[in-house]
Amino acid sequence: MPPLENDIVNLEGVWVAYSGSDRPAMRNINLRVSAGKLTLITGPNGAGKTTLLETCLGLLKPYRGRAYLFGVDTRSWRIREARKMCSFVPQDFIKPPFEAYTVRRIIQLGFAPYKSIFESLTEKENERIQWVSELLGIEDLLDRPIGTLSGGQQQRVVIARALSRKPRALFLDEPFSSLDREGRKLVSKVVSEYVRKKDAAAIIVSHDVNPIIKYADTIVRMDNGKIISGDCYA
Amino acid sequence: MLEILALALLAAVLSGNLCGAVGFYVQRLKITTLSFSVAHAALAGASLGLILNFDPVYSAIVFAISSALILGVIFTKMQYGRELVSMAIFSASSAIALFAIYMSNVRVLATASIAVVLWGSLLAVTVQKLIILVLVLILFVLYILAYRMHIDSMLYDVKLAEAEGLNVQAHMLAMLFFAGVIISLSFRLTGGFLVFALLYNPVAAALQLTRKAYMQLFLSSTLGAVSALTGLVVSYALDWPVGATIAIVSSTILLLAYLFKTATEMARKRKLRNV
Repeated sequence: MPPLENDIVNLEGVWVAYSGSDRPAMRNINLRVSAGKLTLITGPNGAGKTTLLETCLGLLKPYRGRAYLFGVDTRSWRIREARKMCSFVPQDFIKPPFEAYTVRRIIQLGFAPYKSIFESLTEKENERIQWVSELLGIEDLLDRPIGTLSGGQQQRVVIARALSRKPRALFLDEPFSSLDREGRKLVSKVVSEYVRKKDAAAIIVSHDVNPIIKYADTIVRMDNGKIISGDCYA
Repeated sequence: MLEILALALLAAVLSGNLCGAVGFYVQRLKITTLSFSVAHAALAGASLGLILNFDPVYSAIVFAISSALILGVIFTKMQYGRELVSMAIFSASSAIALFAIYMSNVRVLATASIAVVLWGSLLAVTVQKLIILVLVLILFVLYILAYRMHIDSMLYDVKLAEAEGLNVQAHMLAMLFFAGVIISLSFRLTGGFLVFALLYNPVAAALQLTRKAYMQLFLSSTLGAVSALTGLVVSYALDWPVGATIAIVSSTILLLAYLFKTATEMARKRKLRNV
């Protein structure tokens, strides 16, 4: 299909393999995600969900096919500019007990790519951090070292960092993995409202579809490195 | 003689401080192996400088920066196997260094010019080299302060920083560049084979003593300076080789830090058992 103007992600016949592996982790993937849509990617362990997310962001490069983020080829050096419009919540977010960065500092660091030399955060950005923290119920944790928090609290912190950046695209890898039932409901609601209000896109990888399925515009099922069902042109 | 000693003491404090600080960053950014290769490239450069009649410090800097650039490009292009390429550069650099020493006219390893490159020398510090060290220190501090948010973001989580659009490769390259230059300037004191004692022992000791990142940075650079200074004074007093003495002092500090940590951990566990 020809590229559209409001395409946020566009994968065209993408194959990805990890170095040293003799089989591709993702095969012939076609996927298009546009603004204002929430796409849920699901499938069993090893289906290629995380690989897909990291390929969209250009962290993994295809050896065949083309991957575009905001119209920028992920192989191009300009991909960094496209990434600045995105936020990412990684799967392996838990930090060890000795990690001493405070929650506030960690959320502030999400603004680092927008900052030039010697520049610090504006009043408005700090207010936004406070607002997002209240939204996700972590305002009392702002001055606590991240390593002293539980897995669920740490997961809320990385989600708060992602939302504070006002991204045009959210890439969330298993964002409910450490959350309790209430936390899952809250994060699902906050993310879906953000997508609608800001006309942003969200790609959520989750093997547990329950908390988010009712908000999803598109559900893509993956298995063995391939998309097995779902509308690939969201 | 006093002037030479004063120069050496100043150089020791600056080198130890810089090595400790850069060691902290390379350890946190998980590019220790890469910096190890850059250090050996510096040694190869210095050894080639000997047979080509260049100042070994400058040829070491050229080699260190070149290898940092190559490793920086590899870091950008390769997602896996970076460590292996780094090890290949390390072995090639060591081979070049040993060949250069073999090919040089002098065949005795204790000969003054080779001794400076291999084992370090108190007499090797000049005013010019000291000024360069001060300039590098100023540049390094300015870089860290200017890009504090960027560097903090990488220290917290490199992959997340990259996904958010930070130029991770450029900062890794900058860090390797500083590591290369600092190593090249420091091995005049410690010698090419023992410069790692100043680069990695202080940060390893700091990791034993505190869990806070900024305290680790402060302790690493302070312990680096203390190791270099104490080593220099002891080597002067006992007429021991300076590089080896600095390495022994920094290793002793690491051992003491480890024993201190073990003792406090045991005390903490005993206290917990009594609660």
